[in-house]
This record gives sequence, structure tokens and C-alpha cells, in this order.
Amino acid sequence: MSHTLIDRFVQWCYYSKDYAFIRDSRFGVPAIQSLHLTGITLLLGTLLALNIRLLGLGFRRMTLPFLAEQLWPWNKAGMATTILSGIMVFLPDPTRYAHNGPFRLKMSLLCVALLYQFLVFRKVIRTETESRARWRNVALGASSLCLWFGVAWSGRAIAFFQ
Amino acid sequence: MSLLNVLNWLQHTWWAVGIKQSDFVFPLIEGSHILSLSFSVGMVMILDMRLLRLSFRSQTVSSMMEQLMPWTVTGFGVMFLTGMLLFAAQAVKVYGNTFFRIKMILMVLAGLNALYYQLRYYPKMAEWEQARTPAGVRAIAVLSLVFWIGVIACGRTMAYEL
Repeated sequence: MSHTLIDRFVQWCYYSKDYAFIRDSRFGVPAIQSLHLTGITLLLGTLLALNIRLLGLGFRRMTLPFLAEQLWPWNKAGMATTILSGIMVFLPDPTRYAHNGPFRLKMSLLCVALLYQFLVFRKVIRTETESRARWRNVALGASSLCLWFGVAWSGRAIAFFQ
Repeated sequence: MSLLNVLNWLQHTWWAVGIKQSDFVFPLIEGSHILSLSFSVGMVMILDMRLLRLSFRSQTVSSMMEQLMPWTVTGFGVMFLTGMLLFAAQAVKVYGNTFFRIKMILMVLAGLNALYYQLRYYPKMAEWEQARTPAGVRAIAVLSLVFWIGVIACGRTMAYEL
């Protein structure tokens, strides 16, 4: 995508009346940011539990596929909440984010994390940990944690690079 | 010496000044504080799902608690420590913040809620964990979610008034 296309999109968002109320109301942004953080807690909390089991560090009384069956829907719910509220933070105030380094890093990492989550991780957690060599489990779990916590940390960094 | 004097002394200790003035340490502590939510409240959410019988129905509550607790305690440990450091760095301003005060009240309520569960329902768990969850336990699980999401929202919102 060319820069002009991004800039035109950003301008359209900023001047669109549909989202201005979020920017202009006193508690609009804090309320949506709170929803964003609640979604993150659910998304990362369930992701942690899955990875702790994958790495063999805990939840050993349950098999990984069982844990996956129980937690995957909540993980997706957390993800949906986080992404939808994230879009609602971005749309009313795109100029603040579009050219922010950490934000661009966050979006790039998010794309990779989503691809990893649905193309690789989803299949990994549906098979027993014993079916793979230990180093494979460690590599798969470490990749998942690095990607998602990478998204989260670069998100936190947006505020510190204004 | 009044409370305000103590807070003033606290934020002028060499280490509190160091945290506040550092471009690197403050964001690091703040990011750790926020992201350890996935360990603390994230794991509490999983326990509440079990208590509400939304997930892990085939697992006993006591087994779930034993497996979740080490991570929950670690998460709250990190949150408490980093939270104290963040408070010290801006003690006077934070103390006067309305949302900080609501957050503290909600945390006390969440603590009392958990304490009541431990005293009233935990000792008799063998009687109820296989069958229907008592209405009291379900109410505690709902309150736990309400209080902790309230803590997240107030913690996020207080940043807008600092």
C-alpha cells in the first residue's frame, strides 16, 4: 500500500463524524482503552495457560488438547474484544498512530502473530505434547509467547514515543 | 507527620526520583505491571469460568485451583511490587487521583470476596464441587469478574488524569 493511500484513509477517518464522539467525549477513549485491556487480559491469560502446558511447566493433570478445547473459545473471545476495541481507539484519532514507529511494529507483529495462531498454533495445541520432541514444544511455545507479548509490548511503547 | 508529608518524602527518595526520571526504567516497570495482568487476573478469569461451569466442567474445582494458584500468586506478586514502585514515583499525584481511589476500594472488595470464598466455601468443597455449584459460589465468581474488570478499567483510566 502506498503512503498516499494510508494518508487518505487516515484523513477520511479523522474527518468522519461517525467516530468523532469517541475522541470528543471525556470518557470515550478511557472506556474503550479499558475494554481493550480487559480483552488483552483474557487473550494473554488463556494463551499463557496453553503455553505453560505446552512447555510442560504446569497444568500437567490435563492434556494439551483438553486444555485447548476448553480455552480456545475464550482466547478467540479475548482476541475479538481486543481487536474490535483497538480499531475503535484507532479510527477517531488515526493521526496519532499512523506514523508512530511502535504502532507500525505492533501491526506488523500482529499480522505475523495472527497467521501463526491460526495456521500453526491451533494445530499444535490439538495434539498431545508427547507426540513431539521436547525441543519442538519449547520452540513452538516460545514463538507464540514472543509474538504475542511482542505485540503487547510494542503497543505499550506507542505512548512513550509520541 | 501527615500522610501527605510521608507521600512527599516517598516520591523524593533517591530511587523513586530515579524511576520517575528514567526514560527506560519507568516504561519497563509500567509495562510489566500491565502485562502481568495476564498471569494474575487472567488466571482468576479461568477459575471463575470453572466456578460458573462455563469451562472445565469435568475437572474438580480443587484440582483447577491447585494448578492455577502458583501462576496467580506469581502474577499478583509482580503486580504488587511494580505497582508499589509506580506509586512511589508519583505518590502525591496518584494519591489525589479519583480513579486510583476507586481502584483501591475495588481491590479491597475483590480481596474480601476471595477471603469469604476461602472461609465459607473452600473448607466444604468436597460437598459441592462434584455437583451443582452453590448459588453463593456463582455469585462470588460474578463479583470477582466485576471487581477485577473494574480494577483494570480504573487503572487504565487513572492515566488520563495524571
